[in-house]
Amino acid sequence: MNLGQALLDQQVVDRSGELMGKVDGIVLELREGKPPRVARLVIGGGTAAHRLHPRFASWLLRWRRRWGPTNDRPLEVPWSKVRKIGIDVKVDVDAAQTPAFAWEHWVRDHIITRIPGG
Amino acid sequence: MSKLLEIALGLVTGIGGFLEAGSMATSAQAGAKFGFQLVWAIVLGTICIAFLVEMAGRLAAVSKHTLPDAMRERFGIRFFTVPLVAVVLVSFLVLASEIGGVSLALQFVSGVPFRWWAPAVAIAVWLLLWAHNFSVVEKGASILGLVTLVFVVAALKLHVSMTDIGSHALPSLPRHDAAQYWFMAVSIIGASVSPYLFYFYSAGAIEDHWDESYLGVNRVIAGLGMGFGGSVAVAVLAVAAIVFHARGIQIERYDQLPLMLADPLGRWGFILFVASLGIACFGAALEIALQIAYLVAQGFGWKWGENIKPRHAARFSLMYTVVIVLAGLLIFTGIDPLKLTIFSMALTALSLPVTVVPLLILMNDREYLGDNTNHWVANTAVLFVSVLACIVALVAIPLQILGS
Repeated sequence: MNLGQALLDQQVVDRSGELMGKVDGIVLELREGKPPRVARLVIGGGTAAHRLHPRFASWLLRWRRRWGPTNDRPLEVPWSKVRKIGIDVKVDVDAAQTPAFAWEHWVRDHIITRIPGG
Repeated sequence: MSKLLEIALGLVTGIGGFLEAGSMATSAQAGAKFGFQLVWAIVLGTICIAFLVEMAGRLAAVSKHTLPDAMRERFGIRFFTVPLVAVVLVSFLVLASEIGGVSLALQFVSGVPFRWWAPAVAIAVWLLLWAHNFSVVEKGASILGLVTLVFVVAALKLHVSMTDIGSHALPSLPRHDAAQYWFMAVSIIGASVSPYLFYFYSAGAIEDHWDESYLGVNRVIAGLGMGFGGSVAVAVLAVAAIVFHARGIQIERYDQLPLMLADPLGRWGFILFVASLGIACFGAALEIALQIAYLVAQGFGWKWGENIKPRHAARFSLMYTVVIVLAGLLIFTGIDPLKLTIFSMALTALSLPVTVVPLLILMNDREYLGDNTNHWVANTAVLFVSVLACIVALVAIPLQILGS
């Protein structure tokens, strides 16, 4: 199986069908005498930015220190929680209990709800 | 929803939604400057957009992926950034053009300069999205958009000759002002082949849960809808050719535009011109603002959807809010909406290979389309038009800037 093709940049969907981001990175586990295997999926803007360009990622990180949610860290989903890889990657996780929505909630609380009707 | 109703609605959207700031401005200017000679550019652009819309719908129906979803997945984030940035930039300029179009329509009726209308127009567009009942508004705008059929009525009233139109359906070399001729040609193609149209269409197909049983519906909507839409654009060009070109009048200022319909239809012509411009541009502005937010949300895996409350899709709602505010500000600076529109259309043509080739690659990938991959005719037609438009734009845009 071609990991880059089958996993990377796929849509991740949580247990109740909520869109929780894309597979921005994959953590492989190296095992002695055996082929490496996927340990975790990583969902996080920083990881995606790093794949774009490392300098872009560090520039972004500098901005992040001044601005944005404090609980935003890359979300790692262990391979054991991955249920199905099809049109989306379905994971047995409740997205609301993870940092997946850190930015979503930050934007909601700091901007959207301050606009009338939001 | 029954499929017949979907086809009917799709056709109404195709006809009522085809004409917007871009196709109206480019067709009118082309008709005024070159008579019927540039009909072929509308024909070429319409064929190309019909193929592209059909592809975007087929991709959604078969693979259940929207276009940005599939693009990011297939090409990875690095390559995805290229079409993402190109489409967002071009769509933003087109959004500003549409807001400018509505503001101009309001200037024509009120006498108050368009730039003062821009903030009000931007707020109105934003409010309709913010009130999260977009699907109602969209269908309303499409039906009201049928008012643009008045151009067909005007063309018939002016006894437009079908031989004039037919004899220019194939490309010909300009007799004068070659640089401007090619610039107009690519602007027309850019106006017809707006990427927002097929990106938006793919999102709609996903929201309506299309499956493979919709492939026929999709083909009919894409072919007939875009075909009828293109005919309205041809009518605009024909009216401009008869009213302006035949009398040696050139469109140099946007306030000459209402004359197009005021001449054949009198006072009602003026009113219907203003209504067509206002409604067509307003409907397009809604779609483009939403499409930019769709594109970014789908590319990054955020929650998206047209009828979700802003607080339930915060990043998505922030996205359209920001682009609408910026586009409104751009018009508020007093930039000439007519020039901005034509320039944005030429830029769209220039960016076509970047926005279209990724779709073509996906459409030939059996992993996504199974047995429904592209026919070679579709590949050739789209590739030919977009590469040609890009090359001509590459030459014509600098010449146009130097010339003016």
